[in-house]
Amino acid sequence: MVRPAVAPDLVHRMAAVVGAEHCISDPADLLVYECDGLTHGRTTPALVVLPATTDEVARVVKLASEAGLPIVPRGAGTGLSGGARPVPGCVVVGLSRMTRVLGVDLENGTIRVEPGVINLDVSRTVQAGGYYYAPDPSSQGVCTVGGNVAENSGGAHCLKYGFTVNHVLAARVVLDGGEVVDLGGPALDPPGYDLLAVLVGSEGMLGIATEVTLRLLRKPEATRTFFATFPSTDEAGAAVSGIIAAGILPAAIEMMDRLAIAAARAATGLDWPDVGAALLMDADGATAEVEHVSRRAVEIARAAGALEIRIPRDEAERQLMWKGRKCAFAAMGRISPNYLVEDGVIPRSEIARVLRDIGRLAEEAGLRVANVFHAGDGNLHPLVLYDARAPGEEERAAALGREILRLCVRYGGSITGEHGVGAEKAAAMADMFGPDDLETMARVRWGFDPRGRFNPGKVFPTPRLCGERPGPYQPHPLELAGQAERW
Amino acid sequence: MVALGREGTPADAILGVVPREVVEPATLDEAAEVLAACARDGRAVAFVGGGTELELGAPPRRLDVLLRTARLARVVEHAPADQIAVVEAGLPLGELQRRLRPHRQRLALDPPLAERATVGGVVAANAYGPRRHRFGAARDLVVGMSFVRADGVLAKGGGKVVKNVAGFDVPRLLVGSLGTLALIGTVTFRLHPLPEADRTVLVPMLDAGGLRALAAALGQAQLEPSAAAALLTGDGFQLALRFEGFPPGVAEQAQRLFALCERLGHGVEPLEEEGARAFWARHNAARSGGALRARLTFPRTGLEPAERLALRPLLASLGGAAAAIYPTLGVAFASGEPADPGAAARAVTEARAALAAAGGSLVVGAAPAEVRARVDPWGPPPPGLSLMRRVKAQLDPEERLAPGRFVGGI
Repeated sequence: MVRPAVAPDLVHRMAAVVGAEHCISDPADLLVYECDGLTHGRTTPALVVLPATTDEVARVVKLASEAGLPIVPRGAGTGLSGGARPVPGCVVVGLSRMTRVLGVDLENGTIRVEPGVINLDVSRTVQAGGYYYAPDPSSQGVCTVGGNVAENSGGAHCLKYGFTVNHVLAARVVLDGGEVVDLGGPALDPPGYDLLAVLVGSEGMLGIATEVTLRLLRKPEATRTFFATFPSTDEAGAAVSGIIAAGILPAAIEMMDRLAIAAARAATGLDWPDVGAALLMDADGATAEVEHVSRRAVEIARAAGALEIRIPRDEAERQLMWKGRKCAFAAMGRISPNYLVEDGVIPRSEIARVLRDIGRLAEEAGLRVANVFHAGDGNLHPLVLYDARAPGEEERAAALGREILRLCVRYGGSITGEHGVGAEKAAAMADMFGPDDLETMARVRWGFDPRGRFNPGKVFPTPRLCGERPGPYQPHPLELAGQAERW
Repeated sequence: MVALGREGTPADAILGVVPREVVEPATLDEAAEVLAACARDGRAVAFVGGGTELELGAPPRRLDVLLRTARLARVVEHAPADQIAVVEAGLPLGELQRRLRPHRQRLALDPPLAERATVGGVVAANAYGPRRHRFGAARDLVVGMSFVRADGVLAKGGGKVVKNVAGFDVPRLLVGSLGTLALIGTVTFRLHPLPEADRTVLVPMLDAGGLRALAAALGQAQLEPSAAAALLTGDGFQLALRFEGFPPGVAEQAQRLFALCERLGHGVEPLEEEGARAFWARHNAARSGGALRARLTFPRTGLEPAERLALRPLLASLGGAAAAIYPTLGVAFASGEPADPGAAARAVTEARAALAAAGGSLVVGAAPAEVRARVDPWGPPPPGLSLMRRVKAQLDPEERLAPGRFVGGI
């Protein structure tokens, strides 16, 4: 594939805005930006620019607009749906240099940050004052606030505390042509349409947020955690339903199946037993309420058939339990050479049935599927294990992943709970939405970005652009030529 | 042009504008047919649910057809185990709550006039009550929607599961859009369990400074009320804090509030069921009464200047004035009878200026025509107005949905 060239003049003008060292056009350097956390499917951008201020972003966007080039915004590139994957001939606008905390206002419970600030650093900045930022994607140590806004990121604790959209109070946004607009504000409900609500989760297709005001929460007074094991996911699913039916809103309730437990054990050395399923639950809030709730949840888990209940003795043991859960994806490497991460949502009451269906589909495909997921809100993360060296297995894994998503839709769920549609699931959108639904979303996009400048080829099941290839990762020509490695 | 329904009467008017005809579709498909017919003939349409927020916004520039959602009142689906309900827009909120109660669930939205207000209207007007403190507003509780566009196309967004990031969030965009982008057809709500215990505690006498300080102290003391609302009483305020949850937690929280108030030197009064009901009824009356109603917003630390420079002068221009403040949210509601329309309009304008200085706003929720003639109900154009117009132009290019009702003449 021939890489579309950018006019040297444009490179110079971009460099004049951001500084030559922050304007990347060397083919070898561009490789870093070929993909995000979804490493199968890569496209080399024409140019990468790393602006440092809103004004620089606006000028960069204006230059790209005038040159008629597509713009692909990028945070830390940790997304798992190819949302930051370049399109041929595009300018990648990387926000990694915009890492300033612009203001902390604990009395109003807000913080104003640039988009390149790491999610966890928001909480670190305010923890001494007893505050934290609630949305906690598993990648929170590396992912950025800007990326969280684009993806409407969730995490284990969004069952109780909500997603990014529930915590963004204002944003400064650069639109096509370089226009800058402020959405939201320091007080509730500024008059007008809630454009901020549609910006969050728009996957970089409406504009680039260059400043974001986030809501901070007071750290809960008490947290109670327990780990429970079960013979199978049926009993664990029944325990989740029972806990919710009792009127309990856990801060988080996570489920792992046998394979996931085994992987976590292998990765962390935790002494988790070889059982069919496990739950890890956090309750948090005021002490008496939390103790009551936690006690009741344990009783419900026992009644549902729990084999063993473990309550961490101290915070260190609690952290270790959570580490076991949070490392589960990475732990798959211990039990399988390759794996695909899926992200689908089902009604919580259907967990046991859907897991059985997934098991049946896996068996038919001759593959193993590990399940580790946010059970409280039915957000599944099936991990399809495969060996890329075995002929045809990767294709079978990808097909199984798609089949699992269709299953989620059939049960009344969604094709993505937190990873986003991106490039990966654009085709699957048609399983969930009809042409009129998609056209309405597209109209909203045209309202913001009439020429489709920002992040084209994502979310909407449009005909693929030349150079984009559906399906699993294909080696890049440079890799085949031995000039580059996959990292 | 074929008549779509009965002839409009003054009882059907929106802020004095009488529609030429009124339709009450029985199904969403019928509603879509009505809108498609309006699109063919270029008729302007407005949607009405229970009519509790009809005085919000400006009068429509033109109004051919009034579409009432009264017959779109089914509970399409209630999945108690998944804590969601799919309901048609015309279902009164109070009726929805009655249907959910046997399952020990509720929709955690508590605007006043719940018996009349329909869920579609509540969502379209972004109406809310004091429980917003814990549960958020409509935007936080809507997980999906079906809607009919201006061109008569029935479409949907979101889904039936709480966690879902597939596609652009059109439902959240429709929240608070006052029927200017589409007809809300069905709404899928996230539900919450009914609490086992519900207790209201009254702090009977606070000035604005005390109110702000106590609201801040709640957070510091890690008290977690589900609602905090203060009512104007003469020179000061009575603050009610509602604790909901399991009995041991509620009892502990109330005890700790007593201790906190003692430390701060405030009297405190636990309310029995009857007293609590009476307080919340007074709150609802303060929110829904009066010929002039206004909603003032401000950063919560700016409560004192908002009270002194905006709320008090506005109340002074009203007879029988009442006010409710949600101190943890930074919202105040004022209501009363404007004796002198000019003075009331001036008070609104001056209050706006004072609030705007801190990033807040004032929206007129109701006002007599003489006051409306002098002030825009929404205030000065917001910064994103041109973008709002572009989004509107995409969804209603002929400006036929409640034209002129919304911000900036949208």
